[in-house]
Amino acid sequence: MTKVNLSGEEVNVEMTKEEFEKVKELLNREPTITELGGFDIMWSEHCSYKSSRPKLKLFEDAEKDYDYVLAGPGQDAGVIDIGDGYALAFRIESHNHPSAIEPYHGAATGIGGIIRDILCMGVRPIALLDPLRFGHLEGNPHSQWLFKYVVKGIADYGNCTGIPTIGGEVEFDRSFENNCLVNVACIGLGTIEDFEHAPSRAYNPGDYVVLMGGSTGRDGIHGVTFASRTLTEMSEADRPAVQIGDPFTKKMIIEATLEAVKTGYVRGLKDLGGGGLTCATSELTGDGNTGAKIELRKVFTGEPGMTSYEIMLSESQERMAFIVKPEGLETVLDVFKKYEMTFAVIGKTDDSKVLKVYDGEELVVNIPAKALSESPTFRRAEKRPDYLDHLLAQKTPEPTINLEEVIKKLIASENICSKEWVYRQYDHEVGVRSVVKCGEGDSGVLRIIGTDKFISASVGVNSKHCYLDPYEGAKGGLVEICGNVIANGAKPMAMVNCCNFGNPEIPESFWYFSKSVEGMNDFCRKLRIPIVGGNVSFYNEDEVSKTAIKATPQIMIVGLIQGYENIITLPFKQSGNDILIIGETKAELGGSEYHSVIHKLEGGTPPSVDEEKILARWNFLYELYQNKLIKANHDVNKGGFIITVAEMCFKNKFGADIDLTGYNFNNLRDDELLFSETVGRFIIETSPKDFGKIVDLAKMFKVSVNKIGVVKSKPEISIRGLSQIVNLNINQMKQLYDSTIPNLMEI
Amino acid sequence: MTIKIAVIQFPGANCDLDAVHVLNDVIGVETSLVWHNYFKEADFDGVVLPGGFSFGDYLRAGIIAAHSPALDEARVMLKDGRPIIGICNGFQILIEAEFLPGALLQNESLKFICKWVNIKVINNKTAFTHKMKQNEVLAIPIAHGEGRYFTDNLKELEENDQVVFRYSTETGNYESAANPNGSLDNIAGICNLEQNCIGLMPHPERASEAILSPKGTEHGRLFFDSMVEFIKRRIR
Repeated sequence: MTKVNLSGEEVNVEMTKEEFEKVKELLNREPTITELGGFDIMWSEHCSYKSSRPKLKLFEDAEKDYDYVLAGPGQDAGVIDIGDGYALAFRIESHNHPSAIEPYHGAATGIGGIIRDILCMGVRPIALLDPLRFGHLEGNPHSQWLFKYVVKGIADYGNCTGIPTIGGEVEFDRSFENNCLVNVACIGLGTIEDFEHAPSRAYNPGDYVVLMGGSTGRDGIHGVTFASRTLTEMSEADRPAVQIGDPFTKKMIIEATLEAVKTGYVRGLKDLGGGGLTCATSELTGDGNTGAKIELRKVFTGEPGMTSYEIMLSESQERMAFIVKPEGLETVLDVFKKYEMTFAVIGKTDDSKVLKVYDGEELVVNIPAKALSESPTFRRAEKRPDYLDHLLAQKTPEPTINLEEVIKKLIASENICSKEWVYRQYDHEVGVRSVVKCGEGDSGVLRIIGTDKFISASVGVNSKHCYLDPYEGAKGGLVEICGNVIANGAKPMAMVNCCNFGNPEIPESFWYFSKSVEGMNDFCRKLRIPIVGGNVSFYNEDEVSKTAIKATPQIMIVGLIQGYENIITLPFKQSGNDILIIGETKAELGGSEYHSVIHKLEGGTPPSVDEEKILARWNFLYELYQNKLIKANHDVNKGGFIITVAEMCFKNKFGADIDLTGYNFNNLRDDELLFSETVGRFIIETSPKDFGKIVDLAKMFKVSVNKIGVVKSKPEISIRGLSQIVNLNINQMKQLYDSTIPNLMEI
Repeated sequence: MTIKIAVIQFPGANCDLDAVHVLNDVIGVETSLVWHNYFKEADFDGVVLPGGFSFGDYLRAGIIAAHSPALDEARVMLKDGRPIIGICNGFQILIEAEFLPGALLQNESLKFICKWVNIKVINNKTAFTHKMKQNEVLAIPIAHGEGRYFTDNLKELEENDQVVFRYSTETGNYESAANPNGSLDNIAGICNLEQNCIGLMPHPERASEAILSPKGTEHGRLFFDSMVEFIKRRIR
């Protein structure tokens, strides 16, 4: 908080003294209080990306580099052309701070916000995905409370709006105890025409500015500056800054907006989110190179006596701003009337390049339209944390329990066990598109009705790996999430990310951000995956316990599958089939679940990524798909490949005879071989008659493939080739896998 | 004469487009999405009240929609024997509008549940089930928070053959584990005395295409095929 002098009065603002001086310089005078409020919000970290922007320049040119990318970073959502005349929009963002204070409404309005971002691209939102982070559940009522109500908030909002939640991931780690992460992603589908109809700018003077949706109230005023501050005990007092969601109104807004866009009379579209009306009107006109005259008192308010400052900065949910062609105003308003939505024509665009807001006769805002988006940027210092050397040098102790016990503990651990408790609460089928449903595959697969195309989507990253090495960890996240969509038979098409980090003013925290961005950028350029959007959430630090969250650059990948017969699923299909592993296992136990669950260690050597090997494996898999050689595929993730094999046994109650004698060519210890989380490996099920063909192709593609076992009908896994025999009962494993979260949550 | 079916769009309905898709593209019967205030019974041979959260389920699920003019229109259809189906929220609306008896309470688990379940056909004589076999077990998904059926008049309901579906295991047993929401006597769907109107919590429109079903079944089609056949017989 800074105190500045405005016409002789002291005013509290979030901006720095230097930024206040820059505002005066831009306007050539002192700002009015309403103008100052606008600058204060629009120049906050959350809106302006002032710390991250210099670094995010790396991501900038997706639209130029890839001909199928229709909208890239800097837009409300990334948009790609998937053929057959269809456009796919997607975006991910954070709603961490509101959810940490008020989990139910925080999460719900997060969903509300991301739906609006997709909707304002002119397309129908068709799927949601939510990666989440909490403290450990066991013995921690606070974490249980956050987890329960975040899930309920997502479920109630998503279910009511009729958008299926088709995927997500959850990790539990001490560092998220008081600063949980709630990231929300949405995918939208429309025709390319729909998308082209509704750009997020007002480029034509003389159009009407129409506000539609919920009423403008006092909720959420200054929600933005609040999200750019570190959480403190004082945050409880910020509760009124958390907005309240109304999914019913949102559903009406979706239908009314899509129908309005179809009339052809909407020339521009923008949602009202952070920064409210100030943000929407200035971005519409600023980006469109026009100006506008807004009459404030036309805005429908939810409570009497609101000041111009409050009306302009309110972050009341469920509102959209439309730029409407004059000749189509009546038609568009009729659509809003049909849906019984409140609306108001609040102004008109002009060619002044100035945003003028009148409160009756009084001119309360009179600023160049582009000024609000011209925040200063900061070059933040970065420094590798000193504690990393010590962490990376940590050695793995010998386990004190036998391997069977270790595997059982792992399969029942919070980060590996089934998340069915979560996805049962989400309507993941509404829309009749969900072909591979929650829990059935590595990614969610949706059909595009009327075509033979399917999209696959997955989201996640490993925060423990990123904590030890953000550069390799971010790359590893990409390998894993791309691996998810590839395992289902898709080719990765594009990526969006959501960067969750600590205070950027602390060099160690900024270093994590900087290295993660470099990792994502290097990987995506080498493997030709366009980055079409991103969101940054800083200040994820808990000042009470003085801990920063583990770096979490969430990654979402959307992939495309041509033809239903090319969708691959995870469960084993037939006993007698071969079990093959693609990729070698290295001694990479750093940040593994094994270290954390069995040894209470956070350190060690984390996985690293060799892009060339990864690409060879992907191409090899595409070739196997083309030749119909794969019966099942599951990428190896937390806990190592035996967990992967067990998950493949569960659905059809199969077992597996595993023999690792020929696979341990790196001479690893038993625990290193079984539990390393080396990224980029897959377990595939193939027919024994195809083995020769597969080995030949592997040689051609220079990929390491080893047969490690056979699927069997008896539900047990036996493992040979280690220093001890391991036998696991699948029914018991499944019981452990399924019961952990219900046992912790159902009191 | 071509058959015309209406799917009524209440504010907050969200399975409306799914029902239209299945009727038009899968079953191949002319179906229109009709905004609730614009619905006129004279134009249609049958009607679907789709799932969703009509009017946000504020006050109580289905109760506000039950007072929509669309229900007055539908009441005319109810009386002259045209087929009416309420799916999920549509079932809740039919109960609140007193087309069907009983009540739908919050799930026993107090949570929303989305999963594939099995239901057993008890009455295969209704407008929507006459193409099913008695005691046939159907695979079909549910997705609701308030679907626990209750009535204080179970005996009468049974005597009048108004119980149409019960939740069961895949082999047709009524174990408690097969009852997803705690419904009385495992009841998943019921009909009116005349058997031209049914309501059920599961979603037949989500179970009408093999591509969406875990086991490749298309049991949901039986509802709509029965409906079309029923209309054809009435017209003849």
